[in-house]
Amino acid sequence: MTTNTPAVATATPETQAPRETYLNCSSGFMSWAGTLDHKRIGIMYLVGVGIAFLAGGLFALLVRLHLWEPEGLLFSNLDYNQVFTLHGAFMVFLFVIPAIPGSIGNMVLPLMVGAKDVALPRLNLLSFYLWLTGAILATLAIVLGGFDTGWTFYAPYSLYTDKAVVTIGLAVFVLGFSSIFTGLNFIVTVHKLRAPGMTWFRMPLMVWALYSTSILQVLATPVLGITVLLVAFERLYHIGIFDPRLGGDPVLFEHFFWFYSHPAVYIMVLPAFGIISELVSVHSRKPLFGYKLIAFSSLAIAIISFLVWGHHMFTSGQSTYAMFAFSFLTFFVAIPTAIKEFSWVATVWKGSVALNSPMLYALAFLIIFAIGGLTGVILGTLNVNLHLHDTYFVVAHFHYVMMGSISLAFFAGLHHWWPKMFGKMYSETLAKIACLIIFVGFNMTFIPQFIMGSRGMPRRYATYVPEFEPFHQASTIGAIILGCGVALMVFYLLQSLLSGKKAKENQWGGVTLDWHTPTPPPHLNFDHEPKVVHEVYDYSTLDYESMQRDAT
Amino acid sequence: MIHYLIQDPPQDPPKWDGVPAPDIDQFGQFPKLASTFHDVDGLFYFTYAVCIFFFVLITGVLLYSVVAHRRKTWDQKPLSNVTHNTPLEVVWTLIPLVLVMIMFAWGFKGSLDMTVVPHEAHLNTYKATAKQWSWQFTYPDGTTSYDEVWVEAGKPVQFILESKDVLHAFYVPAMRVKRDVVPGRYQSAWFEPHFTKEFAEGEPREQTFHLFCAEYCGLDHSRMYAKVHVVDAETMAKTPWNLVPKPEDPIEDKIAYGKQFANAQCLSCHSTNGAPGVGPTWKGLFTKDADGNYVGRQRDVLEGGQKKTITVDDAYILESIKEPMKKLAAEFPNGGMSNFDSLKDDEARLACILAYIKSLADN
Repeated sequence: MTTNTPAVATATPETQAPRETYLNCSSGFMSWAGTLDHKRIGIMYLVGVGIAFLAGGLFALLVRLHLWEPEGLLFSNLDYNQVFTLHGAFMVFLFVIPAIPGSIGNMVLPLMVGAKDVALPRLNLLSFYLWLTGAILATLAIVLGGFDTGWTFYAPYSLYTDKAVVTIGLAVFVLGFSSIFTGLNFIVTVHKLRAPGMTWFRMPLMVWALYSTSILQVLATPVLGITVLLVAFERLYHIGIFDPRLGGDPVLFEHFFWFYSHPAVYIMVLPAFGIISELVSVHSRKPLFGYKLIAFSSLAIAIISFLVWGHHMFTSGQSTYAMFAFSFLTFFVAIPTAIKEFSWVATVWKGSVALNSPMLYALAFLIIFAIGGLTGVILGTLNVNLHLHDTYFVVAHFHYVMMGSISLAFFAGLHHWWPKMFGKMYSETLAKIACLIIFVGFNMTFIPQFIMGSRGMPRRYATYVPEFEPFHQASTIGAIILGCGVALMVFYLLQSLLSGKKAKENQWGGVTLDWHTPTPPPHLNFDHEPKVVHEVYDYSTLDYESMQRDAT
Repeated sequence: MIHYLIQDPPQDPPKWDGVPAPDIDQFGQFPKLASTFHDVDGLFYFTYAVCIFFFVLITGVLLYSVVAHRRKTWDQKPLSNVTHNTPLEVVWTLIPLVLVMIMFAWGFKGSLDMTVVPHEAHLNTYKATAKQWSWQFTYPDGTTSYDEVWVEAGKPVQFILESKDVLHAFYVPAMRVKRDVVPGRYQSAWFEPHFTKEFAEGEPREQTFHLFCAEYCGLDHSRMYAKVHVVDAETMAKTPWNLVPKPEDPIEDKIAYGKQFANAQCLSCHSTNGAPGVGPTWKGLFTKDADGNYVGRQRDVLEGGQKKTITVDDAYILESIKEPMKKLAAEFPNGGMSNFDSLKDDEARLACILAYIKSLADN
């Protein structure tokens, strides 16, 4: 794929006056706070979710430090319960769900389809401010006494506890709308604003992934909104939907909650799949293996994921028929996921594999996601699940998916598009070191959790039986290493903004439209309207000559 | 956040004190199986082996190509530009499909064994009542025990699970049994307990396993623990749980039993050292005068909304256990203590609790 004009090559010769980009085309607080530019909104999201990630990470470190000793090191049980809840709620609702679509997705989706902006720029700004409102409400809930329900808000405990459950529920409700609006925007953009020649099957897989995600966001999130509202009403007016003392059914809450929260797992993971699809192709300089199968598997996952929520509830006493159906369908999600993993590996095979930092993060993803996905298969088997449910095995499994896979894909994408976003390059050496530290620290944190989980260590425990102490201590050391790696990453990324080298026009040799616009892009993305004449990921069109000129 | 860093000192040793760590199976992943649900272990290790095979395959191919096909010059082109290979894609779709269908069928069959309660277990039905944050067990003969339960080796047992407040889960890792305890409905779980070791000649045939609450239930979720004693028929016949001291037994025995009971049932809300808790502290309810008599202190209570001052005595303590909402300590105007219905007519246990509370008196 390429444009009809060689936009890249001619963009820089007269370098005396700095070229106008979206970063310097206007200045002042309001030019950011009131911007309708998807790229600036993406940057604001990036700052926001970055802070949420660091806050959630801090809570995680406190949890791990507390668990150094069987009777706990830092907190009373009451405070521990609040800290682990904060970790879960911040990470899930403020970071993992909005992170990739909000920041990287906002930044690159219009570039990739060759549009000037998203279809509904004002709605885009609104979704950011809704996110911000949600973040403020969540922080307010901490000030108003915290909340100790776990991020899952299971009834009836969430109805009885005297903490600020209504406030955090409101935060989740508002964040849900932020998520819905982003999804709606992306769907319309993909349908309506593709550049001439950009057929559906010439769309980069990142776009397919964000499109599938958006469908899930729009269809599933309202259920979460309704559920948290019902919890709030139940607390305030005692209407008796979930409260067994009033004839309600707590298991109904679990059904409602997971009807959203299982698709939400794929809201989180599909954008990560999109990033990895892009990265393995660009950095192997090879068309993605099985493009159509990957695109369709994203859609297949989006659809099947609506039908498997019951696998979070195998111990809740649902009927045998429900167990049969949910377990069966769960295994069906495993297949498209396996296809993706195989296809990525096949893409790297016989490629021209660049071992730069985005690719290292992507390779770390491929290894960690293999573990995360495969342990999901173990948990899908019914009788084994009855033993492993609600233990650290589950904790380790979903951290392999959420932290190890999604966050690493987010980091990979961040390193990949960082030069595009800011026109600056970070230190590659530090980036590689940080990636290694994160990889080692992550595995050291969660491998011990698999073992203690299958040996029977239940989750959400402030204190524990002493035989698990060595595993907890290994895990805590791993978490500290992981924290150091993340701190190093934050350091060199921020440093690059101050003193980073100027990035190349086409830093990695990508051929999708986002690399066919000047770096950083101008205010309206493209100097000329792009026209797509080649198939996607056609690296024979790669302009080596201009890349060489750029390099020297 | 500062107050988060101040830790309340634990009052008593944890309930699992003295329970040995379970033996681990030969692959190091599970506690040794103490029930008959072999399919859990079998399928787990089968799936585990399949996972390891695919993990080695995926990372092996990946790392090989990263090393062998790495870019050495900046303009190196890939060795291949293949975009798909239909036979290969069909193979790597079908093989995992067959494997997961095996896992599904095996897992479903195994779960049926675990959820369909056999006839023998129906004949040996216990009740487990969960409340924040302790377990009460009722035996087929109607007797009860708290935070400890005795079951007979080789004899299938069913537990009817009932919650007094929020969600809990009945989890015995060594038996591979887990079932949520849902308020407002009854659930059941069953297993056939076995010993996991050989006993030496003369050694008592008894083993103790962990029972955890696995569904988050609030403040002391992690301390909601019970011991599962698997014993032989001979020990079982002695009903070891039913050893509440009788009125004529020495006071030390009653205090010791009362302390054990309070530790399990009362002290998650009431402190014995004056520390503020969910309910009023037990410290200083009585003092001991020079003659060794217990003197109750004056206390402000709310009865039917009216504030009055009473003197603490035996009758007040017993009434507060039987009818917790009747006279509320003035510092806790909302009350909220659980009902201990099973204690209402259990004069022997009540006497022990009272003896323990009095033993806390200052001289």
